[in-house]
Amino acid sequence: MQTKYRLGIDAGGTFTDVVLADATGQVRIFKALSTPSDPTQAIRNGLALIEEETGITPQEIVSNTDLCINGTTVGLNALITHNGARTGLIASSGHEDSIEIRLGHKEDGYRYDPDYPPATMLVPRYLRRGVSERVLSDGTVRTALDEEQVREACRHFIREKVESVAISFVWSVLHPEHEMRAAEIVREMMPDVHLTIGAQLYPQVREYTRTSTAIVNAYLAPILQRYVSAVDAYFASLGAKNPVRYFQSNGGLARGEIVTDQSVYAINSGPASAPQAALNVAEPWGEKNLITVDMGGTSFDITLTKDGQANVSKNIDFLRYRIGIPMIQVETLGAGGGSIGWIDEMGLLQMGPQSAGSEPGPACYGQGGENPTTTDANLTLGYLNGDGLVGGRLPLDVAKARDAIKAKLADPLGISVEKAAYGMFTIVNNNMVNGIRRVSVERGYDPRDFVLMGAGGATGSHITALAREIGIKKVLISKLASGLCAYGQIISDVKYNYMAPAPVRLEGADAAAKLDDLFNGLEARGVSDLEADDFTRDRISIRRSLDMRYVGQVHECTVEVDPFQITEESLEKLKAAFHARHKELYTYDEPASAIEVVNVESTICGHVEKPAQMRIPAGQGSDKALKGTRPMVFDASGATVETNVYEGAKLGAGDVLHGPAVIEEVTTTLVIEPGWTADLHESGVYVVTYDPERDTRTAKPAKELAEA
Amino acid sequence: MATPTVDPITLSVVRGVLETTQREMTLALEKTARSSVFNLAHDYSTALFNHTPEMILQGQDIPIHLGSLIPAMKAVAGFFEGDINEGDLILHNDPDYAGSHIIDTCMYYPVFYQGELVFWTVCKGHLTDIGGPVPAGYNPEAKEIFAEGLRIPPVKIWDKGKPRHDVLNMLLTNMRARRDQEGDFNALIGACQVGARNLVALMDKYGKDTVQDCIEVLLSMANKHMDKLISQVPDGTYTGTAVLEDAGHGFGDFDITATVTIKGETCHIEIASPPQIPYFINSYEGNSYSGVYLGLMMFAQLPPPYNEGLYRNVTVNMGPKGTLCNAKSPAPHMNCTTTPMETLTDAVRLAFEQAAPDKVSASWGHANGCNIAGWDDRHDEEYVTMVLASVISGAGATATQDGWHVRGPLCCFGALTSGDIEMLEHSYPIIIHRYSMIEDSGGAGKFRGGSGACWEVEPLDKPMTLVTFGEGRRIPAMGAAGAESKLIEKKVGRLEITRNGKTEVITDNVIETINPGERAANINPGGGGFGPAFERSPAHVVEDVRNGLVSIEAARIEYGVVFADAESLQIDEAETARLRASA
Repeated sequence: MQTKYRLGIDAGGTFTDVVLADATGQVRIFKALSTPSDPTQAIRNGLALIEEETGITPQEIVSNTDLCINGTTVGLNALITHNGARTGLIASSGHEDSIEIRLGHKEDGYRYDPDYPPATMLVPRYLRRGVSERVLSDGTVRTALDEEQVREACRHFIREKVESVAISFVWSVLHPEHEMRAAEIVREMMPDVHLTIGAQLYPQVREYTRTSTAIVNAYLAPILQRYVSAVDAYFASLGAKNPVRYFQSNGGLARGEIVTDQSVYAINSGPASAPQAALNVAEPWGEKNLITVDMGGTSFDITLTKDGQANVSKNIDFLRYRIGIPMIQVETLGAGGGSIGWIDEMGLLQMGPQSAGSEPGPACYGQGGENPTTTDANLTLGYLNGDGLVGGRLPLDVAKARDAIKAKLADPLGISVEKAAYGMFTIVNNNMVNGIRRVSVERGYDPRDFVLMGAGGATGSHITALAREIGIKKVLISKLASGLCAYGQIISDVKYNYMAPAPVRLEGADAAAKLDDLFNGLEARGVSDLEADDFTRDRISIRRSLDMRYVGQVHECTVEVDPFQITEESLEKLKAAFHARHKELYTYDEPASAIEVVNVESTICGHVEKPAQMRIPAGQGSDKALKGTRPMVFDASGATVETNVYEGAKLGAGDVLHGPAVIEEVTTTLVIEPGWTADLHESGVYVVTYDPERDTRTAKPAKELAEA
Repeated sequence: MATPTVDPITLSVVRGVLETTQREMTLALEKTARSSVFNLAHDYSTALFNHTPEMILQGQDIPIHLGSLIPAMKAVAGFFEGDINEGDLILHNDPDYAGSHIIDTCMYYPVFYQGELVFWTVCKGHLTDIGGPVPAGYNPEAKEIFAEGLRIPPVKIWDKGKPRHDVLNMLLTNMRARRDQEGDFNALIGACQVGARNLVALMDKYGKDTVQDCIEVLLSMANKHMDKLISQVPDGTYTGTAVLEDAGHGFGDFDITATVTIKGETCHIEIASPPQIPYFINSYEGNSYSGVYLGLMMFAQLPPPYNEGLYRNVTVNMGPKGTLCNAKSPAPHMNCTTTPMETLTDAVRLAFEQAAPDKVSASWGHANGCNIAGWDDRHDEEYVTMVLASVISGAGATATQDGWHVRGPLCCFGALTSGDIEMLEHSYPIIIHRYSMIEDSGGAGKFRGGSGACWEVEPLDKPMTLVTFGEGRRIPAMGAAGAESKLIEKKVGRLEITRNGKTEVITDNVIETINPGERAANINPGGGGFGPAFERSPAHVVEDVRNGLVSIEAARIEYGVVFADAESLQIDEAETARLRASA
């Protein structure tokens, strides 16, 4: 890092985390409340907070920063609240409705629910216009584009005051000319609208996915455009020397104009930096198989890296909208500190997904919340300090927590408050374990082969319990855990995805040559885009992925490989990689069966210099940090155990302590269950490991359910 | 049985693990199966049973499998009573042992713990072939079940852990595309084992007795839940009759009647249907349970999870043996999971509507689809497939909202997934000209039925054979709570074949051949409406007209909404008020 600072700003639902790294290796995290109605305000507030606490002015930081990085939920919020732009669609005649038919499927879990509504249409039917044109599956033109119908669609859109237009034709990926010509006409007739072209944004086979992706993009683009210009202007006014970088859901950074044109990439960027952050935190131990769990106020996000590569999802339903572009797989559950405990119609205790949010918040906040939440349970169990969260700025009322648990759960179930609280804790943990199985077991990985990484303000109380339930023996949790995602953003690289359709059977020299040409073409474009952004060739890396299947199969599986020249001989390497991945995922392969490719993609990364890793001073022994004891509950009996409480700020490198114990950091609290040992590393990371000999509990957690 | 007392926290955890287990069985099945009927149609089920055997968890998958595994499991366990051993694996499809139709093949895996039978993990899936004279099993010429494929009574394919290769070989030798069937067998077996492993781990953790106690409590809770729903309905006897169309078989229309008797928290359902016929629309008792339970579910509207406790106080009599809904060998039956099941469901639904008029949703469009077959010049091979997009009809409206568009048919209730247009054109030598919603196809009502769909195809290069099946081409989907449609012909299904600019409308089950340059449009029905259509808010009618879902003519005739100006969609308030008042 040549300059004095690097600045990251991650706007979350509740808090905007600002992370400031400096050339000496110091990393500091500041939390400001998010301001959804004016997102740039939270950035000003965050920088003002830094000035207040450190005296460093926003101008001084921004003008001495190599990179200002912004992760934003602007797109996400617009999609959640359906407040995107007024959007029109031009489609192939006869296929205007694919976006509403949605392959005819109703989501599982609501099969007999008479009240579950269809997904809100981002483009209502009267703003979808079919035009006569048709390309066939071999790329030949069956029907030429009827330009007059495109003009008529534009006139309709102008009358209807459409702000953004998506164009998506059947098989346009094999013959983009019709879409391009239609786009020319739209630009000519509607020069001020934002325009999204299906085959340009997402050049992959599958009409429904492509059209849906294009529509989400069109719906969000004007919103992102307004946001990006406001942020860019603000940073420019502070003397920024480089363009602001925006964080994308593919786990990489992008320039503002790209986030505007390809706004769909910005959609779920917040948690997407977790894998990068986790790899960085785990670097001293060389751990590359990591499951990262991030628990905040309302949600619990899970990500996974295997061999240093993050799980990527393509072609998934996100907030009920099909999105094709590659995104870091984030499994999100409604399980946070504010998750409400309730008794369902059957009489069973449940946790979430409803959340008390920050208003009124958990009962213990004393802001009028009457529902018992995860935070109330953790307070009742003794894990949290009644003096308060966030360094005492938010005092907690134990009596209110107990009252809520008693009235809503313990009395109706006929059990003690402690038992009910431990039950809430257990059930919320089990919900999280089931989520962890979805990113691991269901992707062909055994979670016990992974290290568990903690992130987010509320995770610390649950982390050893989660590891115990899954059967993971090693946990890493950084002192920066509560702002880990913001930290992940400032150590991330610039990353773009380049895609092409490739419906070919994996046989013969022609197929090999076609794939080789496709990849080379994509990568030449990618490299030249990054070179234009001042990345030298040695700082650019490439990774390829192919969506492949056995001929006759319906679903593809994505295979990632490093680049190599594709020839008839080296096709065998691709086949072998596919067989191996298929077996890993689905327990078997079919070496004798023919394989076909459907789509290909190259991920091009421009590597950004990393700031120095944090260093903390050596400790004086954990005794020096002991601040007292509290009674705490560690098993289903509800019995309390007098437990040591340590002040995290006084622990240093090399300090070791054994569970049961609690470590109170300023922005998070770590519960070290019986049987676990925490060892603070010089990089500010607690290494927490399990030794069954040390587990004093009578009801020992037996075999893990991760067996399967 | 007295309900045991269990720790409420353990109970919640056990319930969560059972659901995760079922989910992982489902994923294992779906991802490893070769058959697109598995993959896209979601035409499979997974279930867990206790040792009794009572169903302790049913996958939420597809209604056509909702009920039939319950009697099937009992029949299979009964057949091998006294001879069920650790490491056995039983296969079965025969409707005489409560199978649905023989192309649905079931695997039953007994789970032992410390030497004792504790659970069964069970899977069922629609294979692509089951032998017999016609590929894929649907043989409209069959006069007997023997002409439809291979009947498999309960048979062990593993015996105490040892695979019986002789038996498997005998079965597979009788099926087409042997490797696909073998792959699908493996998928079913794998899913059973995933389930078993999870259940054993659960018992390791909490102990067998605790787990069994929790399950008994879960069954009892479901029982109480259904009891409560039933006891809210006034005691009495309620009857519903639905008409099964003659779709070209020549035996005429049939009435299917359900009589529901509610007394306290008990519910007895009696089915009356005409004698079975020598055409493949007879339903054996096991399959009919699915139809009855779907009708019940349209009343109960319960979220998952589902277990057999729900039905402890629900008794069913399918009527005399040898009738359409309680067929006996050798009645042909292959079409039974759609026809007559959907009409049977309608009859039960209608009886419940009499009992709970404000609650029960309208019916959905019936399956009315086609299979296509022909020659693919590109790969020089024959192709044949069921067109899933061709059966996806409109959903019924509910007491709170319009029906979903293009989400059916009734027997699948939204579980299907039609393939992507481009992937279908990549796989078959066809061009799909249209896959769209249809104006005026949704049943009229205060809440409108969902739109049906039009799927229009043209073969490339070589002629194509179309085989149509189902019904719903004359009688529209049943409305609820007083909903009635006036423009019927737009709400029912049909096949339109266009040759040389002339369009022929076909409403029977037929086999037709079309050539390149000619087109076939399969149109399937919309869903029924809920409540009187004249009570629909005019603003919603305007929105439907703007969106091309309701025509200006239908707005007037069906909804009593008159427009002063067709361009701006300005309502003629006075004329609308007059028309609505005159109704």
